Amino acid sequence: MGAALEARRMEKRFGDVEALAGMSFAVQAGELYGLVGPDGAGKTTAIRALAGLLDLDSGEARVLDMDPRSGGAVREALGLLPQQYSLYRDLTVMENLTFYSRLYVLPRDVFRRRAERLLAITRLDRFTDRRADQLSGGMYKKLALAAALLHEPRVLLLDEPTNGVDPVSRRELWALLHEFVQGGMAVLVSTPYMDEAERCDRVGLAYRGRLLLEGEPGALLAGFDEEAYEIAGGDRDRVEAVLEALPAVRSVSPAGSRLRVDLLAGGRAGVAAALAPLGAELRPVAPSFEDLFLSRLQGEHAA
Amino acid sequence: MTLAGSRAGRFLARVGAIAWKEILHIRRDPRTLLLALAMPVVMLLLFGYGVSFDVDRIRLAVSDQDRTEASRRLAQAFTENHEFDPVGGDDADDADTIFRRHRAQAILVIPRGYEKDLARGGPARAQLLLDAADAVTAGQVLNKADAIALSESRRMASAPGISAAPSLQVKVSSRYNPEARSAVFIVPGLAAYLMAISAVLLTALTVAGEWERGSMEQLFASPVSRLEIVLGKLFPYLVVGLIQLLLVLGVGTNVFDVPILGSPLLVILAGVLFLAGMLGQGLLISVLAKNQLVATQAGSLSSLLPSLLLSGMLVPIDNMPAVLRLISRIVPARYMVDALRQILLKGNGFAQVWPDLLAMLVFAVAIVALATARFKRRIA
Repeated sequence: MGAALEARRMEKRFGDVEALAGMSFAVQAGELYGLVGPDGAGKTTAIRALAGLLDLDSGEARVLDMDPRSGGAVREALGLLPQQYSLYRDLTVMENLTFYSRLYVLPRDVFRRRAERLLAITRLDRFTDRRADQLSGGMYKKLALAAALLHEPRVLLLDEPTNGVDPVSRRELWALLHEFVQGGMAVLVSTPYMDEAERCDRVGLAYRGRLLLEGEPGALLAGFDEEAYEIAGGDRDRVEAVLEALPAVRSVSPAGSRLRVDLLAGGRAGVAAALAPLGAELRPVAPSFEDLFLSRLQGEHAA
Repeated sequence: MTLAGSRAGRFLARVGAIAWKEILHIRRDPRTLLLALAMPVVMLLLFGYGVSFDVDRIRLAVSDQDRTEASRRLAQAFTENHEFDPVGGDDADDADTIFRRHRAQAILVIPRGYEKDLARGGPARAQLLLDAADAVTAGQVLNKADAIALSESRRMASAPGISAAPSLQVKVSSRYNPEARSAVFIVPGLAAYLMAISAVLLTALTVAGEWERGSMEQLFASPVSRLEIVLGKLFPYLVVGLIQLLLVLGVGTNVFDVPILGSPLLVILAGVLFLAGMLGQGLLISVLAKNQLVATQAGSLSSLLPSLLLSGMLVPIDNMPAVLRLISRIVPARYMVDALRQILLKGNGFAQVWPDLLAMLVFAVAIVALATARFKRRIA
C-alpha cells in the first residue's frame, strides 16, 4: 500500500525566498509524523502544498495517491488545521462546528453524534455557546481541531497546533492526536518545539526548505554521536569565551540558569581540562532532540 | 437523506451553509445592517428635501430707472405669481454688490425710456442680470423670466387699441412629472445609487474579510467550491439590497408622492438583476484586493461614481459627450434608472422594459463568471 501522504522533491519559490528546496517525505496510514524545524524552514508551505492550496514550482504533493488540488474526493479525505486563526471569531463554538458539518454535508444525526464526542474529548462541551474569539489559545486550537475532524478525514494536516498553547493543553492535544492515529489516520504535525519530536512516530528536521534528518525519534537519538553536558560552576561569561575557542564543542545553549554544551565524541577530557582553571566542571546529561537538532543546524550553518 | 445524496442537493446544502454563516455575521454586527438600511432613508430624505432642483421664490431686486406705469407693470408681472420674491432694491448698490452679498439672485433693470419705447411700438428693452454661480438655478430662472417676458409682451400686444393680432398662449408642460418635481425624478436614480453602493461594499468586505481573517484557508481545504462560496455570499446581501429597494420606494411613495404606475413585481425583478450585478462587482473587487481597506476604497469608487454620474440619475445621458455615453452603456445603474423610471413613472410593462432587464442580466452573469474565474483557490 502506498503512503497516505507523500512529498516528492517539492520546490517552491516566493520571489527571492526559496520556501521549499526539494523537500521529500512520506507518511503512512496510522502514523504520526512530525515536521520539526525553526521558523522559515518551509513547514507551512509544505503543509499548504499537501492541502492543495498552492502550486509547486516542481516536484509533487500526493494525498492518498491523488493530486490534492484535484478537489472532490481528496478534500473529503483531508483535514487541515491551519497555523493562524481560521475559524469565525463572531460565531460560537457550536455554530463553527455546525458550519463545517454543513460544508461536508454531514447528515444531522451523524453530526450530532460526532460533535458530542469531539466536544467531550476536547472538554469544550461546557462552552458550546461561547464565541470563538472568547476562547483561550488552547481552547481555540482544540475547537479548530474538532472542526477539522468532524468529517473523519483519513489524512490530517496540522500546522503548529501547539503554538501559543499552554503546557497542559499541549499534552492534551498530543494525547488526542495519538488516539486518532491509532484509529488508522495519517497525521502530519509541524512544530517549532524540538522537544515535541519525541511524541511522534517519525520526525523530519526541516531547514531551509528541505529535511536535514529523518527517522524514528529513538533511533535518531541512539545514533547521535555527540555527548551532552551541563556546566556547573564558574563565571558564565568567561566559561562561554573559553568554550567558543574549543574545536570539540559543537554547540552551546542556555538551559535554565546553566549552560548546556554538546561535544564531539571523545572531546570530554580536553574541554574539562580547559574549564578546570575557571572552577567549572562538566556533568553528563542524556542527549535530547534539542541537542541533536541544534547540533545539526549548527553544522549546517558552518557548511 | 436523498437531498444530501444527490449532486444538486450537496451543492444547495453548501450554498446554504455559506449563506447561513453570512446571516450569522450580519446578525452579530447589527450596526452594519442598520447602516445599510438607515442610509437609504436618510439619503432619500436629504435628497428629497434638501437637494431640490425646483426653483421658486427667487429673490429679485428691481432697479426701475423709468419709474412709469409700464415699468411698474413689468416688475409686477415678475412678482405676482410668487416665482420671484421682490427684495428691497437699493439703487445705489451696483449689481456686483448685490450678488456678492447674496441679497438677490436676479436683478431686473428697466432703463429710462422704457415706456416711451413701448408707446412708439419699437422694441422696449429691459435687462435681467443673473447670479449664475449656480448654473442649474440660473438656467431655471432664465426660463421663468423668458416665459414671463413673453406672456407680458403678448398681453400688451393684445391690449385694445394697440394691435388686433390674436394673442398666443404659451404653455409649457412636462409629461410624467408634470410639476417637474425633483423627488419624482430623483427617487428612481437614488434607489439605484444606494443599492449599488451598499451591495458592492458589503460583498467586497465579506470576501476580503475571509482572506484577512485566515478563514479562506480552511474553506479552500474543504470540499466547498468557489461557485458555492460566491452564491452563498450573494444570497443574504441580495435580500438586504431588496429590503433597501423597498425602503426607498416606500419612503418615496409615502413622503414624496412618487407614483408606482407599473407592476411592483417588475420592480422587484429589475432590483434582483441589478443587485446580482452589483454584488458580482463587489465580489470581483474583493477577489482581486484581498484586504478590506483596498476593497472598501475600490468598492465605493467603482460603485459611487458611475451610478451617480453615468447612470442618467443627475445628468441626462443624451447630454453627455460621446465617450461618456459609450461608457455608460456598461454601467448597470443606467439600465436600472431607466427601468425604474419607465415602470414607476410611465407604467411601462415587460414589453418596454425588457432591453434594460436583459442588459442587467448580461452584466450580472458576466461579472459573476469573471469573479469566480479570478477567484483562485490558492493561498499565497
